[in-house]
Amino acid sequence: MTDLDLGREAYPIPGPQNTNLADILERVLDKGIVIAGDIKIDLLDIELLTIRLRLFVASVDTAKKAGIDWWETDPALSSRAARHALQDENRDLRERLEALEAKSDEKTAS
Amino acid sequence: MTECGPGLPEADALYVFAVCREPDPAVIADLRGIATGAPLRLLRFGELAAIVQTVRAADFTDEAWQARMSDRGELERYARAHHHVVSAAAASCPTVPLPLATLYHGEERASQALFAETERFRAALKRTTGHSEWGVKVYAGEPPTADPEPGALPPRVPDTGGGRLRPAPGAGLAYLERKRGVQARRERRHEDALRSAETVDAAFQKVAAAGRRLRLQPQESAGKGRLQVLNATYLVGEHRSAELAELARALRASTGTEIEISGPWVPYSFVGEV
Repeated sequence: MTDLDLGREAYPIPGPQNTNLADILERVLDKGIVIAGDIKIDLLDIELLTIRLRLFVASVDTAKKAGIDWWETDPALSSRAARHALQDENRDLRERLEALEAKSDEKTAS
Repeated sequence: MTECGPGLPEADALYVFAVCREPDPAVIADLRGIATGAPLRLLRFGELAAIVQTVRAADFTDEAWQARMSDRGELERYARAHHHVVSAAAASCPTVPLPLATLYHGEERASQALFAETERFRAALKRTTGHSEWGVKVYAGEPPTADPEPGALPPRVPDTGGGRLRPAPGAGLAYLERKRGVQARRERRHEDALRSAETVDAAFQKVAAAGRRLRLQPQESAGKGRLQVLNATYLVGEHRSAELAELARALRASTGTEIEISGPWVPYSFVGEV
């Protein structure tokens, strides 16, 4: 895939035709040097509404099932945040299991 | 928000695509831009020049953009048109891209606003000249496995309470154990994916002048059944860009992940505040 992508791009800058729309959007909407314009367009709102919600959230459930959910926090902080969340969840589950086992032990003893 | 009053239906606005150093007017004249009619031209300010197009103000109000941006087809058309101008300009001269939809009420206003930002443009040009942006995406190696069969022994998680674990006496405990097995596998997979993403990111950072994490893309754009674990972008000097393909190949082999490179891009991600 990579080799193909690289080979296909003979021009110094890739043309829009062979470039993934999501890749373009994350650059032309979010990035570039932002200067104040006369006609103010709240692209952040638009982006949040139309792109992040409609396109991105659609697959969050699927990905959550696979156990990957760390984009829910800031990508820059994600690894640590996700580790903590998992540790918490794991500890919580263990506690619940132990509580149940303890109950089950009591019943067996009585 | 600035509104175009009903009294000014014919008013023009100036759309700004990018700011360049010594652009070639011939390259610009051939581009179509985002609206039909007015040709693209250069608006000079100080030592720099902006690539601009005159458009009908009524077509570019906030409301018009809101409607346009909620239509996937229109959004794509405008995003690609903007990107096309930026890319063509960057192929011929040092270029700082502006994001989609930077508009002014006329030339004078635009020149003033752009001139006031000269220092930022200069800094961005200095940082990115001789560099390109390269996108790197990493996908987890294998699809998630299904739940284990009920009753199957879950992988042992260390320190679960002094070996009190016994054969499941009831459905409740079996259920919990099964859940724990799922949780453990999920955790392992998660950890593996995170580790691979960090490894790949660290390796590309070494080659790059700068790097940024972008938001992970959904499966819709990643492709069915593919789980993206890293979506990053790097500013790489032109003399080092030839190393990227080989680096990806080596990382693919060592991490077992799928790695995709895209680029060279105009350095959109590295011209703003970094």
